Amino acid sequence: MEKSASAGTGVPAAIYDDDIVKKFAIATILWAAVGMLVGVIIALQLAWWPANLGLPWTTFGRLRPLHTNAVIFAFGGNICFTGIYYSMQRLLKTRMWSDTLSKIHFWGWQLIIVSAAVTFPLGLTQSREYAELIWPIDIAITLVWVAFAINFFGTIATRKVKHIYVAIWFYMSFVITIAVLHIVNNLAMPATFLRSYPLYSGMTDALVQWWYGHNAVGFFLTTPFLGLMYYFLPKAAERPIYSYRLSIVHFWGLIFLYIWAGPHHLLYSGLPDWAQTLGMVFSIMLLAPSWGGMLNGLLTLRGAWHRLRTDPVLKFMVVGVSFYGMSTFEGPMMSIRAVNGLAHFTNWVVGHVHSGALGWNGMLSFAVLYWLVPRLWNKPLARPAMATQHFWLATIGIVLYTVSMWAAGLMEGLQWRAVGDGGLLANPIFIDIVHRLEPFYWLRLVGGTLYFVGALMAVYNFWKTIRGPESVSADAAAPVPAT
Amino acid sequence: MNPVIQQASESIGMGGMATILTLLFMVAFFAWVWYAYTPRNRQKFEDAALLPFEEGVDR
Repeated sequence: MEKSASAGTGVPAAIYDDDIVKKFAIATILWAAVGMLVGVIIALQLAWWPANLGLPWTTFGRLRPLHTNAVIFAFGGNICFTGIYYSMQRLLKTRMWSDTLSKIHFWGWQLIIVSAAVTFPLGLTQSREYAELIWPIDIAITLVWVAFAINFFGTIATRKVKHIYVAIWFYMSFVITIAVLHIVNNLAMPATFLRSYPLYSGMTDALVQWWYGHNAVGFFLTTPFLGLMYYFLPKAAERPIYSYRLSIVHFWGLIFLYIWAGPHHLLYSGLPDWAQTLGMVFSIMLLAPSWGGMLNGLLTLRGAWHRLRTDPVLKFMVVGVSFYGMSTFEGPMMSIRAVNGLAHFTNWVVGHVHSGALGWNGMLSFAVLYWLVPRLWNKPLARPAMATQHFWLATIGIVLYTVSMWAAGLMEGLQWRAVGDGGLLANPIFIDIVHRLEPFYWLRLVGGTLYFVGALMAVYNFWKTIRGPESVSADAAAPVPAT
Repeated sequence: MNPVIQQASESIGMGGMATILTLLFMVAFFAWVWYAYTPRNRQKFEDAALLPFEEGVDR
Protein backbone atom coordinates (compact mmCIF):
# COMPACT_ATOMS: atom_id res chain seq x y z
CA MET A 1 0.00 0.00 0.00
CA GLU A 2 2.74 2.38 1.00
CA LYS A 3 4.87 1.60 -2.04
CA SER A 4 2.07 2.33 -4.48
CA ALA A 5 1.33 5.58 -2.70
CA SER A 6 4.89 6.87 -2.65
CA ALA A 7 5.35 5.86 -6.27
CA GLY A 8 2.46 8.13 -7.26
CA THR A 9 3.07 11.20 -9.33
CA GLY A 10 1.47 14.58 -8.87
CA VAL A 11 2.66 16.71 -5.97
CA PRO A 12 6.34 15.91 -5.40
CA ALA A 13 7.25 15.13 -1.81
CA ALA A 14 9.84 17.92 -1.96
CA ILE A 15 7.12 20.53 -1.55
CA TYR A 16 6.93 19.63 2.12
CA ASP A 17 9.01 21.47 4.69
CA ASP A 18 10.81 18.59 6.40
CA ASP A 19 13.58 20.81 7.71
CA ILE A 20 11.28 22.05 10.49
CA VAL A 21 10.27 18.45 11.26
CA LYS A 22 13.94 17.51 11.66
CA LYS A 23 14.51 20.45 14.01
CA PHE A 24 11.59 19.48 16.22
CA ALA A 25 12.67 15.82 16.19
CA ILE A 26 16.18 16.70 17.41
CA ALA A 27 14.74 19.00 20.08
CA THR A 28 12.43 16.17 21.22
CA ILE A 29 15.34 13.76 21.63
CA LEU A 30 17.47 16.25 23.57
CA TRP A 31 14.71 17.45 25.92
CA ALA A 32 13.62 13.86 26.56
CA ALA A 33 17.06 13.15 28.03
CA VAL A 34 17.12 16.38 30.07
CA GLY A 35 13.57 16.08 31.43
CA MET A 36 13.97 12.43 32.42
CA LEU A 37 17.38 13.10 34.01
CA VAL A 38 15.78 15.69 36.30
CA GLY A 39 13.05 13.13 37.07
CA VAL A 40 15.65 10.57 38.12
CA ILE A 41 17.40 13.18 40.29
CA ILE A 42 14.26 14.13 42.19
CA ALA A 43 13.29 10.45 42.55
CA LEU A 44 16.69 9.95 44.19
CA GLN A 45 16.07 12.96 46.44
CA LEU A 46 12.83 11.41 47.73
CA ALA A 47 14.65 8.19 48.61
CA TRP A 48 17.85 9.88 49.82
CA TRP A 49 17.49 13.56 50.67
CA PRO A 50 21.21 14.51 50.68
CA ALA A 51 20.92 14.32 46.89
CA ASN A 52 19.48 17.83 47.03
CA LEU A 53 23.10 18.91 47.66
CA GLY A 54 21.99 21.29 50.37
CA LEU A 55 21.67 24.06 47.79
CA PRO A 56 18.47 26.07 47.30
CA TRP A 57 18.69 25.78 43.51
CA THR A 58 18.68 21.98 43.55
CA THR A 59 16.00 21.29 46.14
CA PHE A 60 12.98 19.14 45.30
CA GLY A 61 10.54 22.06 45.34
CA ARG A 62 12.43 23.82 42.55
CA LEU A 63 13.43 20.81 40.47
CA ARG A 64 10.01 19.14 40.50
CA PRO A 65 8.34 21.81 38.32
CA LEU A 66 11.43 21.75 36.12
CA HIS A 67 10.90 18.00 35.62
CA THR A 68 7.15 18.22 34.95
CA ASN A 69 7.46 21.18 32.58
CA ALA A 70 10.41 19.63 30.76
CA VAL A 71 8.76 16.28 30.11
CA ILE A 72 5.29 17.66 29.33
CA PHE A 73 6.05 20.82 27.36
CA ALA A 74 9.61 20.19 26.12
CA PHE A 75 9.59 16.44 25.37
CA GLY A 76 5.81 16.08 24.90
CA GLY A 77 5.36 19.41 23.13
CA ASN A 78 8.23 18.90 20.71
CA ILE A 79 7.17 15.38 19.72
CA CYS A 80 3.64 16.65 19.04
CA PHE A 81 5.02 19.45 16.87
CA THR A 82 7.33 16.97 15.11
CA GLY A 83 4.43 14.68 14.26
CA ILE A 84 2.04 17.51 13.42
CA TYR A 85 4.40 19.28 11.00
CA TYR A 86 5.25 15.96 9.32
CA SER A 87 1.76 14.51 9.04
CA MET A 88 -0.41 17.57 8.41
CA GLN A 89 1.57 18.61 5.34
CA ARG A 90 1.15 15.12 3.92
CA LEU A 91 -2.49 14.68 4.92
CA LEU A 92 -3.40 18.08 3.45
CA LYS A 93 -0.94 17.76 0.53
CA THR A 94 0.41 21.23 1.02
CA ARG A 95 3.47 22.89 2.51
CA MET A 96 3.12 24.72 5.81
CA TRP A 97 1.45 28.06 5.22
CA SER A 98 4.49 30.08 6.36
CA ASP A 99 8.05 28.83 6.86
CA THR A 100 8.79 31.98 8.86
CA LEU A 101 6.03 31.23 11.35
CA SER A 102 7.29 27.63 11.58
CA LYS A 103 10.74 28.95 12.52
CA ILE A 104 9.30 31.48 14.99
CA HIS A 105 7.35 28.63 16.56
CA PHE A 106 10.39 26.37 16.80
CA TRP A 107 12.92 28.86 18.17
CA GLY A 108 10.33 30.61 20.36
CA TRP A 109 9.32 27.31 21.96
CA GLN A 110 12.93 26.29 22.64
CA LEU A 111 13.66 29.72 24.12
CA ILE A 112 10.68 29.35 26.46
CA ILE A 113 11.99 25.96 27.58
CA VAL A 114 15.42 27.43 28.28
CA SER A 115 13.83 30.27 30.26
CA ALA A 116 11.97 27.65 32.32
CA ALA A 117 15.22 25.83 32.99
CA VAL A 118 16.70 29.11 34.28
CA THR A 119 13.78 30.48 36.30
CA PHE A 120 12.68 27.32 38.15
CA PRO A 121 16.03 26.60 39.87
CA LEU A 122 16.11 30.30 40.83
CA GLY A 123 12.82 29.78 42.64
CA LEU A 124 10.80 32.01 40.30
CA THR A 125 7.32 30.53 40.12
CA GLN A 126 3.68 31.60 40.22
CA SER A 127 2.82 28.36 42.07
CA ARG A 128 0.14 27.09 39.68
CA GLU A 129 0.60 23.42 38.96
CA TYR A 130 1.86 22.70 35.41
CA ALA A 131 1.67 26.49 34.88
CA GLU A 132 4.47 27.56 37.22
CA LEU A 133 6.15 29.86 34.70
CA ILE A 134 6.09 33.53 35.64
CA TRP A 135 3.96 36.03 33.73
CA PRO A 136 6.50 37.41 31.20
CA ILE A 137 7.14 33.85 30.01
CA ASP A 138 3.38 33.19 29.93
CA ILE A 139 3.01 36.11 27.52
CA ALA A 140 5.84 34.71 25.38
CA ILE A 141 4.03 31.33 25.29
CA THR A 142 0.85 33.07 24.16
CA LEU A 143 2.65 34.88 21.32
CA VAL A 144 4.45 31.74 20.12
CA TRP A 145 1.24 29.74 20.32
CA VAL A 146 -0.63 32.33 18.26
CA ALA A 147 2.14 32.17 15.63
CA PHE A 148 1.73 28.37 15.56
CA ALA A 149 -2.07 28.63 15.39
CA ILE A 150 -2.01 31.07 12.46
CA ASN A 151 0.39 28.80 10.58
CA PHE A 152 -1.64 25.70 11.48
CA PHE A 153 -5.01 27.06 10.39
CA GLY A 154 -3.42 28.82 7.41
CA THR A 155 -2.19 25.42 6.25
CA ILE A 156 -5.65 23.90 6.70
CA ALA A 157 -7.21 26.81 4.80
CA THR A 158 -4.87 26.29 1.84
CA ARG A 159 -5.14 22.49 1.81
CA LYS A 160 -5.35 20.48 -1.42
CA VAL A 161 -7.50 17.71 0.10
CA LYS A 162 -11.16 18.33 0.83
CA HIS A 163 -11.61 15.97 3.76
CA ILE A 164 -9.75 16.81 6.96
CA TYR A 165 -8.38 13.51 8.29
CA VAL A 166 -9.26 12.61 11.89
CA ALA A 167 -5.67 13.15 13.13
CA ILE A 168 -5.95 16.82 12.18
CA TRP A 169 -9.21 17.18 14.09
CA PHE A 170 -7.35 15.96 17.17
CA TYR A 171 -4.54 18.46 16.43
CA MET A 172 -7.15 21.24 16.08
CA SER A 173 -8.58 20.51 19.51
CA PHE A 174 -5.01 20.71 20.85
CA VAL A 175 -4.25 24.08 19.24
CA ILE A 176 -7.54 25.73 20.22
CA THR A 177 -8.04 24.32 23.70
CA ILE A 178 -4.48 24.85 24.92
CA ALA A 179 -4.76 28.52 23.89
CA VAL A 180 -7.98 28.94 25.88
CA LEU A 181 -6.68 27.01 28.91
CA HIS A 182 -3.36 28.84 28.99
CA ILE A 183 -4.87 32.31 28.81
CA VAL A 184 -7.71 31.78 31.31
CA ASN A 185 -5.54 29.97 33.87
CA ASN A 186 -2.75 32.56 33.73
CA LEU A 187 -4.81 35.75 34.02
CA ALA A 188 -2.95 37.73 36.65
CA MET A 189 -2.03 41.22 37.77
CA PRO A 190 1.74 41.77 37.55
CA ALA A 191 3.27 43.43 40.60
CA THR A 192 6.89 43.44 39.45
CA PHE A 193 8.65 41.95 36.44
CA LEU A 194 9.02 38.64 38.28
CA ARG A 195 5.91 38.55 40.50
CA SER A 196 2.18 38.63 39.88
CA TYR A 197 -1.10 37.92 41.65
CA PRO A 198 -3.76 35.65 40.12
CA LEU A 199 -7.09 37.06 39.06
CA TYR A 200 -8.95 34.40 41.05
CA SER A 201 -8.92 33.53 44.71
CA GLY A 202 -10.00 30.73 47.01
CA MET A 203 -12.18 27.94 45.66
CA THR A 204 -12.63 29.66 42.29
CA ASP A 205 -8.87 29.71 41.90
CA ALA A 206 -8.64 26.01 42.74
CA LEU A 207 -11.34 25.18 40.20
CA VAL A 208 -9.67 27.24 37.44
CA GLN A 209 -6.33 25.58 38.21
CA TRP A 210 -7.75 22.08 37.95
CA TRP A 211 -9.93 22.89 34.98
CA TYR A 212 -6.60 23.87 33.41
CA GLY A 213 -4.60 21.07 35.03
CA HIS A 214 -6.77 18.20 33.96
CA ASN A 215 -7.32 19.58 30.49
CA ALA A 216 -3.56 19.91 30.12
CA VAL A 217 -3.66 16.11 30.50
CA GLY A 218 -6.61 15.94 28.12
CA PHE A 219 -5.55 18.35 25.41
CA PHE A 220 -1.74 18.36 25.67
CA LEU A 221 -1.02 14.74 26.57
CA THR A 222 -4.04 13.03 25.01
CA THR A 223 -5.61 14.61 21.92
CA PRO A 224 -2.42 15.50 20.00
CA PHE A 225 -0.98 12.08 20.83
CA LEU A 226 -4.18 10.44 19.58
CA GLY A 227 -3.70 12.45 16.40
CA LEU A 228 -0.21 10.96 16.17
CA MET A 229 -1.67 7.50 16.77
CA TYR A 230 -4.25 7.93 14.00
CA TYR A 231 -1.53 8.88 11.52
CA PHE A 232 1.58 6.95 12.53
CA LEU A 233 -0.04 3.68 13.65
CA PRO A 234 -1.66 3.05 10.23
CA LYS A 235 1.63 4.08 8.58
CA ALA A 236 3.72 1.72 10.70
CA ALA A 237 1.19 -1.13 10.43
CA GLU A 238 0.76 -0.45 6.69
CA ARG A 239 -3.00 -0.70 6.89
CA PRO A 240 -5.76 1.86 7.44
CA ILE A 241 -7.28 2.50 10.85
CA TYR A 242 -9.66 -0.27 11.95
CA SER A 243 -12.75 1.95 11.89
CA TYR A 244 -12.68 5.52 10.65
CA ARG A 245 -16.28 5.94 11.80
CA LEU A 246 -15.36 4.91 15.33
CA SER A 247 -12.58 7.51 15.23
CA ILE A 248 -15.20 10.23 14.65
CA VAL A 249 -17.24 9.09 17.65
CA HIS A 250 -13.96 8.82 19.60
CA PHE A 251 -13.01 12.41 18.77
CA TRP A 252 -16.31 14.09 19.56
CA GLY A 253 -16.95 11.96 22.64
CA LEU A 254 -13.49 12.60 24.03
CA ILE A 255 -13.32 16.37 23.62
CA PHE A 256 -16.91 16.80 24.76
CA LEU A 257 -16.39 14.89 28.01
CA TYR A 258 -12.81 15.81 28.89
CA ILE A 259 -13.42 19.51 29.40
CA TRP A 260 -15.75 18.80 32.37
CA ALA A 261 -13.56 16.32 34.25
CA GLY A 262 -11.33 18.79 36.20
CA PRO A 263 -13.38 18.92 39.42
CA HIS A 264 -12.42 15.29 40.19
CA HIS A 265 -9.19 16.82 41.54
CA LEU A 266 -11.27 18.66 44.17
CA LEU A 267 -13.39 15.89 45.69
CA TYR A 268 -14.04 16.39 49.42
CA SER A 269 -12.98 20.04 49.05
CA GLY A 270 -14.96 23.26 49.49
CA LEU A 271 -16.18 22.99 45.91
CA PRO A 272 -19.99 22.74 45.75
CA ASP A 273 -21.09 19.12 45.93
CA TRP A 274 -22.88 19.15 42.59
CA ALA A 275 -19.73 20.36 40.83
CA GLN A 276 -17.70 17.56 42.42
CA THR A 277 -20.28 15.02 41.27
CA LEU A 278 -20.31 16.53 37.79
CA GLY A 279 -16.53 16.13 37.54
CA MET A 280 -16.77 12.54 38.77
CA VAL A 281 -19.59 11.54 36.41
CA PHE A 282 -17.89 13.00 33.33
CA SER A 283 -14.64 11.30 34.31
CA ILE A 284 -16.35 7.92 34.48
CA MET A 285 -18.05 8.49 31.13
CA LEU A 286 -14.63 9.23 29.62
CA LEU A 287 -13.90 5.53 29.81
CA ALA A 288 -16.14 4.92 26.80
CA PRO A 289 -14.45 7.13 24.16
CA SER A 290 -11.01 6.35 25.59
CA TRP A 291 -11.45 2.61 25.21
CA GLY A 292 -13.11 3.08 21.83
CA GLY A 293 -9.93 4.83 20.73
CA MET A 294 -7.66 2.22 22.27
CA LEU A 295 -9.53 -0.63 20.57
CA ASN A 296 -9.48 1.27 17.29
CA GLY A 297 -5.70 1.46 17.58
CA LEU A 298 -5.15 -2.15 18.61
CA LEU A 299 -7.60 -3.63 16.10
CA THR A 300 -5.76 -1.79 13.32
CA LEU A 301 -3.05 -4.40 13.85
CA ARG A 302 -5.35 -7.33 13.03
CA GLY A 303 -3.49 -9.48 10.55
CA ALA A 304 -0.21 -7.78 11.41
CA TRP A 305 0.39 -9.05 14.93
CA HIS A 306 3.25 -11.32 13.78
CA ARG A 307 5.21 -8.19 12.86
CA LEU A 308 5.42 -7.31 16.55
CA ARG A 309 8.15 -9.91 16.91
CA THR A 310 10.52 -8.02 14.67
CA ASP A 311 9.42 -4.41 14.40
CA PRO A 312 10.45 -2.22 17.38
CA VAL A 313 8.20 0.62 16.15
CA LEU A 314 5.10 -1.57 16.48
CA LYS A 315 6.28 -2.91 19.85
CA PHE A 316 6.48 0.65 21.22
CA MET A 317 3.13 1.54 19.67
CA VAL A 318 1.22 -1.44 20.98
CA VAL A 319 2.53 -1.02 24.52
CA GLY A 320 1.86 2.73 24.29
CA VAL A 321 -1.74 2.26 23.18
CA SER A 322 -2.23 -0.46 25.80
CA PHE A 323 -1.04 1.92 28.50
CA TYR A 324 -3.46 4.50 27.13
CA GLY A 325 -6.19 1.94 27.81
CA MET A 326 -4.88 1.05 31.27
CA SER A 327 -4.43 4.61 32.51
CA THR A 328 -7.81 5.68 31.11
CA PHE A 329 -9.36 2.83 33.09
CA GLU A 330 -7.46 3.69 36.25
CA GLY A 331 -8.29 7.41 35.96
CA PRO A 332 -12.08 7.10 35.93
CA MET A 333 -11.83 4.59 38.78
CA MET A 334 -9.74 7.02 40.86
CA SER A 335 -12.26 9.79 40.22
CA ILE A 336 -14.96 7.87 42.13
CA ARG A 337 -15.39 9.60 45.50
CA ALA A 338 -14.79 6.53 47.66
CA VAL A 339 -11.68 5.46 45.70
CA ASN A 340 -10.42 9.04 45.62
CA GLY A 341 -10.75 9.25 49.39
CA LEU A 342 -8.15 6.50 49.56
CA ALA A 343 -5.94 7.59 46.66
CA HIS A 344 -5.84 11.37 46.98
CA PHE A 345 -2.50 12.88 48.08
CA THR A 346 -0.84 9.44 47.97
CA ASN A 347 1.84 8.10 45.62
CA TRP A 348 -0.86 6.16 43.76
CA VAL A 349 -1.56 9.42 41.90
CA VAL A 350 2.11 9.68 40.97
CA GLY A 351 2.01 6.09 39.70
CA HIS A 352 -1.14 6.79 37.68
CA VAL A 353 0.37 9.87 36.05
CA HIS A 354 3.51 7.96 35.09
CA SER A 355 1.63 5.00 33.67
CA GLY A 356 0.08 7.55 31.31
CA ALA A 357 3.21 9.65 30.78
CA LEU A 358 5.88 6.92 30.50
CA GLY A 359 3.55 4.27 29.11
CA TRP A 360 1.31 6.15 26.71
CA ASN A 361 3.09 9.43 25.84
CA GLY A 362 6.65 8.17 26.14
CA MET A 363 6.24 4.86 24.29
CA LEU A 364 4.20 6.44 21.49
CA SER A 365 6.77 9.26 21.18
CA PHE A 366 9.65 6.84 20.81
CA ALA A 367 7.62 4.80 18.30
CA VAL A 368 7.09 7.91 16.19
CA LEU A 369 10.79 8.82 16.44
CA TYR A 370 12.00 5.32 15.52
CA TRP A 371 9.67 5.40 12.50
CA LEU A 372 10.40 8.98 11.51
CA VAL A 373 14.14 9.54 12.00
CA PRO A 374 15.26 6.98 9.36
CA ARG A 375 12.76 8.43 6.88
CA LEU A 376 13.58 12.08 7.54
CA TRP A 377 17.32 11.61 7.11
CA ASN A 378 16.88 8.85 4.52
CA LYS A 379 19.20 6.53 6.41
CA PRO A 380 18.62 3.13 8.03
CA LEU A 381 18.38 3.00 11.81
CA ALA A 382 21.98 2.56 13.01
CA ARG A 383 21.30 0.01 15.78
CA PRO A 384 17.97 -1.80 15.27
CA ALA A 385 18.76 -4.30 18.04
CA MET A 386 19.34 -1.45 20.46
CA ALA A 387 15.83 -0.16 19.77
CA THR A 388 14.44 -3.49 20.94
CA GLN A 389 16.65 -3.38 24.05
CA HIS A 390 15.35 0.14 24.70
CA PHE A 391 11.81 -1.20 24.42
CA TRP A 392 12.38 -3.89 27.05
CA LEU A 393 14.23 -1.60 29.46
CA ALA A 394 11.43 0.96 29.19
CA THR A 395 8.67 -1.61 29.66
CA ILE A 396 10.30 -3.16 32.72
CA GLY A 397 11.00 0.35 34.05
CA ILE A 398 7.33 1.36 33.78
CA VAL A 399 6.18 -1.82 35.51
CA LEU A 400 8.57 -1.26 38.43
CA TYR A 401 7.53 2.39 38.62
CA THR A 402 3.77 1.84 38.64
CA VAL A 403 3.77 -1.23 40.88
CA SER A 404 5.97 0.43 43.52
CA MET A 405 3.79 3.54 43.52
CA TRP A 406 0.57 1.51 43.74
CA ALA A 407 1.94 -0.31 46.77
CA ALA A 408 3.22 2.92 48.33
CA GLY A 409 -0.04 4.76 47.69
CA LEU A 410 -2.28 2.02 49.05
CA MET A 411 -0.10 1.72 52.14
CA GLU A 412 -0.19 5.47 52.76
CA GLY A 413 -3.92 5.77 52.14
CA LEU A 414 -4.78 2.85 54.41
CA GLN A 415 -2.42 3.88 57.21
CA TRP A 416 -3.60 7.51 57.20
CA ARG A 417 -7.20 6.47 57.72
CA ALA A 418 -6.61 3.45 60.00
CA VAL A 419 -8.41 3.84 63.30
CA GLY A 420 -7.63 1.79 66.39
CA ASP A 421 -9.64 0.94 69.51
CA GLY A 422 -11.45 3.94 70.95
CA GLY A 423 -11.51 5.78 67.62
CA LEU A 424 -7.93 7.05 67.79
CA LEU A 425 -5.70 7.13 64.74
CA ALA A 426 -3.67 3.94 64.48
CA ASN A 427 -0.74 5.89 63.00
CA PRO A 428 -0.87 9.29 64.69
CA ILE A 429 2.70 10.26 63.77
CA PHE A 430 2.64 11.25 60.10
CA ILE A 431 6.40 11.03 59.60
CA ASP A 432 6.32 7.34 60.53
CA ILE A 433 4.29 6.64 57.41
CA VAL A 434 6.65 8.79 55.34
CA HIS A 435 9.60 6.68 56.53
CA ARG A 436 7.82 3.50 55.49
CA LEU A 437 7.76 4.79 51.90
CA GLU A 438 11.52 4.54 51.56
CA PRO A 439 11.81 1.05 50.00
CA PHE A 440 9.12 1.94 47.46
CA TYR A 441 10.97 5.13 46.58
CA TRP A 442 14.15 3.12 45.90
CA LEU A 443 12.20 0.70 43.71
CA ARG A 444 10.67 3.62 41.81
CA LEU A 445 14.14 5.06 41.32
CA VAL A 446 15.26 1.76 39.75
CA GLY A 447 12.24 1.79 37.41
CA GLY A 448 12.74 5.42 36.43
CA THR A 449 16.46 4.88 35.87
CA LEU A 450 15.78 1.93 33.54
CA TYR A 451 13.42 4.12 31.53
CA PHE A 452 16.01 6.92 31.45
CA VAL A 453 18.80 4.58 30.32
CA GLY A 454 16.50 3.40 27.53
CA ALA A 455 15.98 7.00 26.46
CA LEU A 456 19.77 7.54 26.43
CA MET A 457 20.11 4.51 24.16
CA ALA A 458 17.60 6.15 21.82
CA VAL A 459 19.64 9.37 21.85
CA TYR A 460 22.76 7.37 20.92
CA ASN A 461 20.88 5.39 18.26
CA PHE A 462 19.47 8.52 16.62
CA TRP A 463 22.86 10.26 16.81
CA LYS A 464 24.55 7.33 15.02
CA THR A 465 21.70 7.20 12.50
CA ILE A 466 21.80 10.89 11.64
CA ARG A 467 25.61 10.99 11.48
CA GLY A 468 25.78 7.65 9.67
CA PRO A 469 26.35 7.05 5.95
CA GLU A 470 23.60 7.66 3.39
CA SER A 471 21.62 4.54 2.62
CA VAL A 472 23.09 2.80 -0.42
CA SER A 473 19.98 1.09 -1.69
CA ALA A 474 16.30 1.71 -1.27
CA ASP A 475 15.96 -1.63 0.53
CA ALA A 476 18.55 -0.80 3.15
CA ALA A 477 16.47 2.01 4.53
CA ALA A 478 12.92 1.80 5.72
CA PRO A 479 10.60 2.80 2.86
CA VAL A 480 11.04 6.49 2.29
CA PRO A 481 8.98 8.84 0.15
CA ALA A 482 10.98 10.23 -2.76
CA THR A 483 12.62 13.53 -1.95
CA MET B 1 -22.90 35.52 44.90
CA ASN B 2 -23.53 37.85 42.02
CA PRO B 3 -27.23 38.82 42.37
CA VAL B 4 -27.89 38.28 38.66
CA ILE B 5 -26.50 34.74 38.76
CA GLN B 6 -28.34 34.04 42.02
CA GLN B 7 -31.62 35.20 40.53
CA ALA B 8 -31.07 33.06 37.45
CA SER B 9 -30.22 29.99 39.51
CA GLU B 10 -33.32 30.43 41.67
CA SER B 11 -35.64 30.97 38.74
CA ILE B 12 -34.74 27.79 36.91
CA GLY B 13 -33.20 25.65 39.64
CA MET B 14 -30.31 23.23 39.41
CA GLY B 15 -32.62 20.35 38.52
CA GLY B 16 -34.02 22.21 35.53
CA MET B 17 -30.55 23.20 34.34
CA ALA B 18 -29.30 19.63 34.65
CA THR B 19 -32.33 18.33 32.72
CA ILE B 20 -31.90 20.77 29.86
CA LEU B 21 -28.16 20.19 29.61
CA THR B 22 -28.53 16.42 29.75
CA LEU B 23 -31.04 16.55 26.90
CA LEU B 24 -28.81 18.87 24.86
CA PHE B 25 -25.79 16.63 25.37
CA MET B 26 -27.80 13.56 24.38
CA VAL B 27 -28.98 15.25 21.19
CA ALA B 28 -25.37 16.20 20.40
CA PHE B 29 -24.22 12.63 21.04
CA PHE B 30 -26.87 11.08 18.81
CA ALA B 31 -26.07 13.67 16.15
CA TRP B 32 -22.39 12.76 15.86
CA VAL B 33 -23.06 9.04 16.08
CA TRP B 34 -25.61 9.43 13.26
CA TYR B 35 -23.09 11.48 11.25
CA ALA B 36 -20.46 8.78 11.67
CA TYR B 37 -22.67 5.78 10.93
CA THR B 38 -25.24 6.96 8.40
CA PRO B 39 -24.93 4.76 5.28
CA ARG B 40 -24.71 7.89 3.15
CA ASN B 41 -21.28 8.68 4.62
CA ARG B 42 -19.90 5.14 4.43
CA GLN B 43 -17.93 5.54 1.21
CA LYS B 44 -16.69 8.99 2.21
CA PHE B 45 -15.17 7.70 5.44
CA GLU B 46 -13.73 4.57 3.84
CA ASP B 47 -11.90 6.86 1.41
CA ALA B 48 -10.83 9.14 4.24
CA ALA B 49 -9.23 6.23 6.10
CA LEU B 50 -6.80 5.86 3.16
CA LEU B 51 -5.58 9.48 3.28
CA PRO B 52 -2.37 8.65 5.22
CA PHE B 53 -1.27 6.47 2.30
CA GLU B 54 -1.82 9.04 -0.42
CA GLU B 55 1.02 11.42 0.29
CA GLY B 56 2.40 13.14 -2.79
CA VAL B 57 -0.57 12.09 -4.93
CA ASP B 58 -2.78 14.85 -6.23
CA ARG B 59 -6.47 14.18 -6.57
